[in-house]
Amino acid sequence: MISFLLRRLISLVPVLCLVLVIVFSLVRFIPGDPAVTLLGPGATDQQIAALRDQLRLDQPLAIQFVDYVAGLLHGDLGASLKTGQPVLHELLIRLPATLELSIFATLMAVIVGVPIGVLSATRPNSLFDHITRLVSLIGVSMPAFLLALILQLVFATYLGWLPVSGRLSPYIIGSPITGFTLVDGLLARDAAAFRSAVEHLLLPMTVLAAFLAATLGRFVRNTMLEVMAEDYIRTARAKGLSRSSVVLQHGLRNSLLPAVTVVGLKFAEMLGGAILTETIFAWPGVGRFMFEAIKNRDYPVIQGATLVFALLFVTTSVVVDLLYGVLDPRIRRKMS
Amino acid sequence: MALSRYLACLAALPLLVCPLIATTQAQTTDAQKTLIVAVPSDPANLEPGANKAEPIGSEIILNVFDTLVAWSAPDFSKLEGRLAKSWTVSPDGKEFNFQLREGVKFHDGTPFDAEAVKFSLERTKAINSYVQATFGLIRTVSIPSPTELKISLSEPYPAFLSILAQPQAAIVSPAAVKKFGDKFAVNPVGTGPFAFTSYRADTNVVLDANPNYFRGAPKLARVIYRVIPEASTRRLELENGGVDVIQQQGQLSAIPVEEMAAFKSNPRISIVEAPSQIIRQLEFNNNDPKSPVADIRVRKAIAHAIDYDGLLQGVFGGVAERVYGPLTTNSWAFDPKLRDAAPKYDPQLAKKLLAEAGIASGKLNFKLYSFQGPLWGAVATFIQANLADVGVNATIEQTEFPAYRALQTAGKFDIALDGRQPWYNDPDAHITIGYLSGLADTAMTFRMPKDDALDALILKGQQTVDPDERKKLYSDIQEKIVARVPAAYLFSPKLIVFMRANVKGLVINSAPPLNEYWSVYKN
Repeated sequence: MISFLLRRLISLVPVLCLVLVIVFSLVRFIPGDPAVTLLGPGATDQQIAALRDQLRLDQPLAIQFVDYVAGLLHGDLGASLKTGQPVLHELLIRLPATLELSIFATLMAVIVGVPIGVLSATRPNSLFDHITRLVSLIGVSMPAFLLALILQLVFATYLGWLPVSGRLSPYIIGSPITGFTLVDGLLARDAAAFRSAVEHLLLPMTVLAAFLAATLGRFVRNTMLEVMAEDYIRTARAKGLSRSSVVLQHGLRNSLLPAVTVVGLKFAEMLGGAILTETIFAWPGVGRFMFEAIKNRDYPVIQGATLVFALLFVTTSVVVDLLYGVLDPRIRRKMS
Repeated sequence: MALSRYLACLAALPLLVCPLIATTQAQTTDAQKTLIVAVPSDPANLEPGANKAEPIGSEIILNVFDTLVAWSAPDFSKLEGRLAKSWTVSPDGKEFNFQLREGVKFHDGTPFDAEAVKFSLERTKAINSYVQATFGLIRTVSIPSPTELKISLSEPYPAFLSILAQPQAAIVSPAAVKKFGDKFAVNPVGTGPFAFTSYRADTNVVLDANPNYFRGAPKLARVIYRVIPEASTRRLELENGGVDVIQQQGQLSAIPVEEMAAFKSNPRISIVEAPSQIIRQLEFNNNDPKSPVADIRVRKAIAHAIDYDGLLQGVFGGVAERVYGPLTTNSWAFDPKLRDAAPKYDPQLAKKLLAEAGIASGKLNFKLYSFQGPLWGAVATFIQANLADVGVNATIEQTEFPAYRALQTAGKFDIALDGRQPWYNDPDAHITIGYLSGLADTAMTFRMPKDDALDALILKGQQTVDPDERKKLYSDIQEKIVARVPAAYLFSPKLIVFMRANVKGLVINSAPPLNEYWSVYKN
């Protein structure tokens, strides 16, 4: 297992290097000069030239690249052009918001999606099956911003149960401990803060979870139907096992393997792709931060954030591989 | 375990959090004394020394810090003393003597004195390249006594007092600058009505009332700036009472006109409007002899092709005003004669002028550059249709600001929708930067071709001390500029603030368009 993990990690190095080169060159092809953006409309040409010099933007690309890689080797992602703060620091203060949202959205999607898939598969072509298939079709095809707006209108405006946006009530002022509002609320033993954190999480979490839950529901249903037609299921039934143990222990367990891949990849996608949800719900995460950085031509931030996303993406794929081993003894044997 | 029981357990998991929601207590913070202001993005900087007129940071600075002088409400046509009690200007317009207020303290408890003013102004001059053109004029700042300050300029500049009302001229606590160093930008300390409490990236900035404020303690206990990037979310938050104030900060993130109509019929929301000094225009590349717009007949034709009233009513529904020349009608230097001199909508005349210039119908093709955003898109589409009516083809190119700026500086355009937002209340803010031919190749100017006579007149207008003489000079300048048709002047958007109906006492400044919350309260 350990040697498998090591081999897997080493194989990631060329992938990350390639990401580094691509990102570095791509941001430099976006039209528009970061020095111009930074100085604003009132700046003179001399000031722009001075800033370009200070940021080393007038150096040849090769030299800029060597500088950047040298910095990376020291754990330095550069400083944001907009705020002047280190990129790593800027990303780390926003990462908990995105992680919190993605983790809960994934959990919610699994809790809702998997049982629906299982129930649909055990009663194929029943009324329940037809309804869930229709609902999941809507879930897959509904754009996130539309769902977000509908939820805000229903639950915030008409019912008044939940807040429209934000991560915590603005009236609650406290300094973050971990950056995860739910955890911070618990650590501070502040019931109002915890409650506010939960209330603010529910809508964006639902929007983000909807697509994955619908995908998972359809996916689990289809693999379950295939698995339930296998010989070993017939054997298990013939041995007189109860219906639930046939479905759960033999059927579900074998259907979950491909579902884990879907969940893993979608989770990694959520970390980088929650831009719309984060923007609509004024959720201060990395997706929105990166979007702003692209608008401002904040090269170091775009590069740094992409690198961090790539790292999270490949880490998730390693975790998925390891989960395969946990779920399937045959794969576990191959790993060792 | 039976299948159904397993599934029931799974389904019940989300419900586990519900009892927690139900048993916790309500918040106790006094909402009545807290004002929540929605802003579209993070403040770029809370540091006067580095301020580049970015709207959100600038407004926070003017609520945390004080300046020597400020524009007085409600019409903002006169300056009043703030940290300065009184002042005199020498006849040659180069020496400014200030008598400072006594007994004022910074939020960190250190006393305010002339030394702090000298420190602040010299600090901004040294570190802020953005205000080089104006702060660069300061030759010396001397302090005859702790309550007296003398500023000498290298050349006369009557608009200098106006510059001293800007966020860059805010007076910082020297002790706090020494203490925080580079971190002063996230720990700003001033003498203003509100003291900085906390800042969370992309989330909020919290200010608390300064009970010892020299003009009297503010009526609010706390002001919270909430960062909400999406316009529709800001609207829902205002309707639900999640925020108290929304500002139309710039056109790019503004709430569309049709949504404003919805606010008008909502009794829980009030709308405050004020004319601005912002000008939006269809600009010509005046410094490219190869461009079709080098011919003044073509420029005049385009200026007559535009249906100005149709644009104001159709696209803006009355939330913008006509602009007749290089200054808005609410500028003290505006010459009313320009109202009659401005081009009128006359497609026949436009066609005739094009024919005189030797251009056949349908033969003139332009790329019409414009900023991004639905509002700019609507303006561009309107102009495109107007031009099509007189046989000029325009393809709309909506461009992001950095790319736009690069096109402007390089002069790689024929016609472009553009605008200027003056940050100090003086005609100099529009005229010198926009029309001095020496600045043609810098960014965001009208790219005027070399014109020594006009340049000399503009510089004379900038430096003349006597107000009446200055006003006459600016009348002359406006007339000469309009005669050159450097642009089709389109409209001036009103400054609009939406707020909950129980918010009272807010006044809007026209330049800079920033709100002060000292006088605001809720009832």
